[in-house]
Amino acid sequence: MAAPMVKVPGQRLARKDETTKPGTGTYEQNGFIYSSLAGCVQKETSSDGSVQISVITDVQQTVVPSVEAIVTARITNVTPRFCKCSILTVGKIPLKEPFRGMIRKEDVRATEKDKVETYKCFRPGDIVVARVLSLGDSQSYLLTTAENELGVVIATSEAGASLVPISWCKMQCPRTLAEEFRKVARVQQEFLQYTDT
Amino acid sequence: MPDTRRITGPEETQSPFAFCPQFLAQSAEAFSDGKRRDGRKAEADHRPVFLKAGLISQAKGSAFAELDKTKVVCAVYGPHEVARREDFSMQGQISCEVKFAPFSCRVRRQHVQDGREKDLSTQLLEALEPAVRLDSFPKSQVDVFVTVLENDGSALSAAITCASLALADAGIEMYDLVVACTARIHGTSILVDPSFSEENLKTVSGEKPGGQVTLGFMPSLRQVSALCYHGDTDLDVLSQATQRCQDTCHKLYQVVQDTLVKSVEQRMNNS
Repeated sequence: MAAPMVKVPGQRLARKDETTKPGTGTYEQNGFIYSSLAGCVQKETSSDGSVQISVITDVQQTVVPSVEAIVTARITNVTPRFCKCSILTVGKIPLKEPFRGMIRKEDVRATEKDKVETYKCFRPGDIVVARVLSLGDSQSYLLTTAENELGVVIATSEAGASLVPISWCKMQCPRTLAEEFRKVARVQQEFLQYTDT
Repeated sequence: MPDTRRITGPEETQSPFAFCPQFLAQSAEAFSDGKRRDGRKAEADHRPVFLKAGLISQAKGSAFAELDKTKVVCAVYGPHEVARREDFSMQGQISCEVKFAPFSCRVRRQHVQDGREKDLSTQLLEALEPAVRLDSFPKSQVDVFVTVLENDGSALSAAITCASLALADAGIEMYDLVVACTARIHGTSILVDPSFSEENLKTVSGEKPGGQVTLGFMPSLRQVSALCYHGDTDLDVLSQATQRCQDTCHKLYQVVQDTLVKSVEQRMNNS
């Protein structure tokens, strides 16, 4: 590969037309594509022949939770109407500082929404995988776990051992064999891989 | 009750500068022997500039700027959650804080932020906001901390240039870099990048008191992001000064670009 082209914010990259599209780290103005980051230019040719120009940085990407993004969060507070949590990662990128999130009772699971009891789904300290439903209010992001692949992935039992999932709504303590209720996620490797965005 | 925490000086104290005639020599002369006070030859000459990006390891991005003796360091943190309870906003926020180090000026500065520092903070914010893509971090906040280590004039323009470099170093999406330049209007002359003694020149008798203009400029978009002016001058002189600032910004832009490219290349080689 030739020496990578380093561009800085405000530098013109290309003319925008049908075959050239702006990608990440760029913006479009007056029919031209400009860089908005300091990094290397990457050109990707897609199957229909159009070229996407993006600028890739080596510093850790600035990331904030966005709608539809998969996030990992720790439950901090459970009330009958909602759970509060702190968002730890967005996709694969860990956040330096956590963002506040909230899972409402009706967003816990897709079926029998009105019979949800939040205490039987999450406990403080659980690590959950969730999807961002909306940016919420000024306080917190709104999250949902209403998919099979979303829910609790890591939890600790009352005895202090880490729980083992036994069904989609139950987890078992390997030490005391006591069963505890959780909204368990069916973690799929390729699904986690897919959450690249 | 006497203040036991500090060593109180004698009742009658005088500034040590009272005994240094070169600091007190507040004349109206901007030039002596055809040279400016710090030896520069022309009105439009800028002092030598040194820039460096990425020197504070804890910060997301950082930069250091030096205009001869004026030294400024900037750190950028975030984006993180907005701490204050405010209305929902799809746009990100920037919070700027400019601080003079206690030892940065002729007169010792206090640790708490004073009025001038707050003023400079808002001016810095105004200069940076148009350049940053605020929509790229909705509901979040980016913190910009600028510390002036030594103030030998043109501290605001150094702070703006330094902060925009630090933001780019932090990987915050921006429309363009902001480059700033200050000009001092003194009598009939327009002094680009004034030093501290040039900023405090006495008014030439029979002339207007003059003033000082700082221009924040986005060179590749050809847009002005900030224009701070104080003083009393004629409008055509002011526009002349602004034009001169703009010309200097174009020259400085090359330096800022080179610094950024160099720091990106260095990081790539290390990784």
